[in-house]
Amino acid sequence: MNHSALRTPWPWLSALALALLGVFVLYPLLYIFTASFAGEGRSGWLQLLEDRRSLEAIGNTLVLACVVTLFATLIGVPLAYVSARYRFRGKLFITLLPLITLVIPEVVTAQTWLMILGNNGVITRFLKGYGILIPSFYGWFGLITSMSFIYYTYVYIGTVAAIGKFDAQLEEAAQSLGTPPVRARLHVMLPVIRPAILASALLVFTMVVGNFAISTILGHNLPLLSVAIYQAAVAEGATNLTMQSTLASTSVLIVMAVLFVNRRIIAKGRYEIVQGRGAKPQPLKGPQGLLVSAAAGIVVAVSLLPLVTIAVGAFTVSRGPVMRWGEWTLDNMARVFITAPGPLVNSIVYAGIATVISVCFSTLVSYLVVKKPNLMTPVIDYVSAIPLALSGTVLGVGLLASFNGGFLALTGTSTIIVLAYVVRRMPFGMRNGQAILHNIPNSIEEASISLGSPPLRTFLRVVLPMMLPAVASAAILTWTTTVSELSASLLVYSGGRETLPIQIFRLIDSGLMAYASAYGLVLVAVILVPVVVATTVFKVDLFASK
Amino acid sequence: MKKLAATTLLLAGLAAGANAADPVIYTTNPVPAVEAAQAVIKEKAGLTTGIITGGSGVLLRRIEAEKAAPQGDVFWSSSANTMGAFKDVLEPYSSPELANVPADLRVADDYFQPANLHVVTVMVNTDQLDGTPAPADWKDLADPAWKGRIILPDPANSSTGYTIVWGLSKLLDEATYKALVGNLVVSSSSSAVPKGVAMGEYAVGLTFETNSYSYVDGGQTEIAIVYPSSGTFTTPEYSALVKGAPAGDDAKKAIDALLSKEAQTELLKVAFRRPSRTDIKVSDYVKLPELSSIKVFKIDEEEAARSRDAFLAEWAALPKAGSSE
Repeated sequence: MNHSALRTPWPWLSALALALLGVFVLYPLLYIFTASFAGEGRSGWLQLLEDRRSLEAIGNTLVLACVVTLFATLIGVPLAYVSARYRFRGKLFITLLPLITLVIPEVVTAQTWLMILGNNGVITRFLKGYGILIPSFYGWFGLITSMSFIYYTYVYIGTVAAIGKFDAQLEEAAQSLGTPPVRARLHVMLPVIRPAILASALLVFTMVVGNFAISTILGHNLPLLSVAIYQAAVAEGATNLTMQSTLASTSVLIVMAVLFVNRRIIAKGRYEIVQGRGAKPQPLKGPQGLLVSAAAGIVVAVSLLPLVTIAVGAFTVSRGPVMRWGEWTLDNMARVFITAPGPLVNSIVYAGIATVISVCFSTLVSYLVVKKPNLMTPVIDYVSAIPLALSGTVLGVGLLASFNGGFLALTGTSTIIVLAYVVRRMPFGMRNGQAILHNIPNSIEEASISLGSPPLRTFLRVVLPMMLPAVASAAILTWTTTVSELSASLLVYSGGRETLPIQIFRLIDSGLMAYASAYGLVLVAVILVPVVVATTVFKVDLFASK
Repeated sequence: MKKLAATTLLLAGLAAGANAADPVIYTTNPVPAVEAAQAVIKEKAGLTTGIITGGSGVLLRRIEAEKAAPQGDVFWSSSANTMGAFKDVLEPYSSPELANVPADLRVADDYFQPANLHVVTVMVNTDQLDGTPAPADWKDLADPAWKGRIILPDPANSSTGYTIVWGLSKLLDEATYKALVGNLVVSSSSSAVPKGVAMGEYAVGLTFETNSYSYVDGGQTEIAIVYPSSGTFTTPEYSALVKGAPAGDDAKKAIDALLSKEAQTELLKVAFRRPSRTDIKVSDYVKLPELSSIKVFKIDEEEAARSRDAFLAEWAALPKAGSSE
């Protein structure tokens, strides 16, 4: 770095960004790692080896992650295949899938599965009338069912583009060389799309490991890692960190191992398609078309079921924990807006502030990383991706432990909730920002500077407007995922600062499904309104960078 | 950008500071009870309250962990035997409202304040009996036909669970007690007990009448409440002032409001809590029997608190039907 470089603002901004990331990302992570070794008394790792229940939790979590990944792939890949290669009735609904995963928070999904298939659920009661008993939805059955029907969408999104881009000529070539069609597909297509499938499957794996909302609501008596971390954190508080930090470190190590495998697979198995000619979707008609429509329709309908159930539940009369299906009321909604509006207000304020900070920070930092590289920027790039490996519960534990006292006491403030939001969701904006910046040629910026415009003004007047579509889509993605955040905020919130997901979580725990549905419906609306306004009024492409 | 971030953080900090003095209540109570209490505290004392919910063991350990810099002001509510172990982080407070509470419910030095009286009930889901006759007494539940069909909250984490198991160990002979324990499934969450019975996952749940009655009141006709014929257990639940409560006198005002006739009547109507006060007639508000018509087996709370660790160790060694441990 020479002297002239130090006269521009960029090295200083890089240093500031690095310092912020150091304090709010690296420090909490290192804090819990060290606490797992150096807590009070014996090392947490020795205690872990003797704690049967914790070991069981780790084992169960790994098994659950494997099974859900398998099911999610088995649903997601065929769905991606038929929607990339064929045209059939109702295909439009499948293209709505990514949106569904965005707007339905996991805590709401878990709740609605219970309302449908729980022991007192609509379908359970209906079937019981005919003498058919289905297994208890708490435990493995419910966890696997509900998670598979949420996470297959990630496999779908991850593979549909790869299949669409696959050069159909290769398949034709194999067939003309005498390979039967089905084998041709398997032998030629599979190796090409395998990295995409594996990458999205591993993403699902890490999401199951980190999942808290569904695990705790449906897990019941089944020990699971994320729930064990939460319970240890609540029980130990911020003074004795041994067990919570050891369990949290275990979770981080599992996710890091998976991400490492992911990198190896992507590095190894790249097949380049040179000037590929993607297959044109073929129309499917007759019984075959009907079959595909029906199968895809069922998958999408099941994904939409939560939304329908909370919409009905929100307007259903209840007395205490008992729902009176078929009797309608506006009382539940009145509660959300008039009697107890705190959670709604808190959610909007905290998520709003967090979105602004997160988008500003990630835009600036991705600009630094892509356009103004210096010695610090590779480190910044790496550190800012770390939150992707932290589940919400782990992040909550880290923030709570690090900022309980000492040089920065944030426990019991709203700031720590906003901070948890920002750290957890900032990587989304980073990925988006970097993708778009790679497409903006340096020459435009250089032209502006050579015409005498100072660097900062050039960034604000020339580069930023070009980034704006990507920034807008990043802002909306950040908003939707932040408003529905539960696992980190549940650990760091304090009395009177409940957000919508926290309130829903508490109401479900008290068994008050009607009230929970009303808050859930409002939460979906809070998420959906900006998405609809942005995509229809401002024509923002939500998946601009994908 | 830097300025913006700094300003927003500052704003968030200011928002936090503005209501920092409001009393924060650490409570084990369900949402409707908490909201009724908050409304009365607001009306009587003019105070807005913050709420942190959790199990009694979890919350008390948290108060202990926060000893150096307390975050909460009031703990509400648990039994004396659970709270007894945490006396050094709590502070005695003789609320003027205690004049209306019978002397035998009060504790020495008014370390805790009796907030309501819990009655242990056997909550039965008649749809799940599958031919087994409905139980009328504890000894009926010792029958092997009930193995794995009775759920109760974990005595190690829940004062409800501890009260029930301690009482049973005193009321029943050893063989019946062991046979009954062998049929039990232990739940780590106490709210899962009434839910599990209401949803038909378990035929029987051992839980306080406040929980079982909410399903009867809601109109779920297959739920029946049994007061065992050889006697059931009652336990007062207490509130307590956190030592060094940051809200100061406001914390005491919040406790006064919690103990007031208005609050206890409201809690009876909304959450079916039997009042600790003598000036409220239960059957005026809900369809619960008067306490005088229920056979109660007296247990020694002092002894229960004293023997807690030894008893829990013994309990942990007994075989049970449940796989949650």
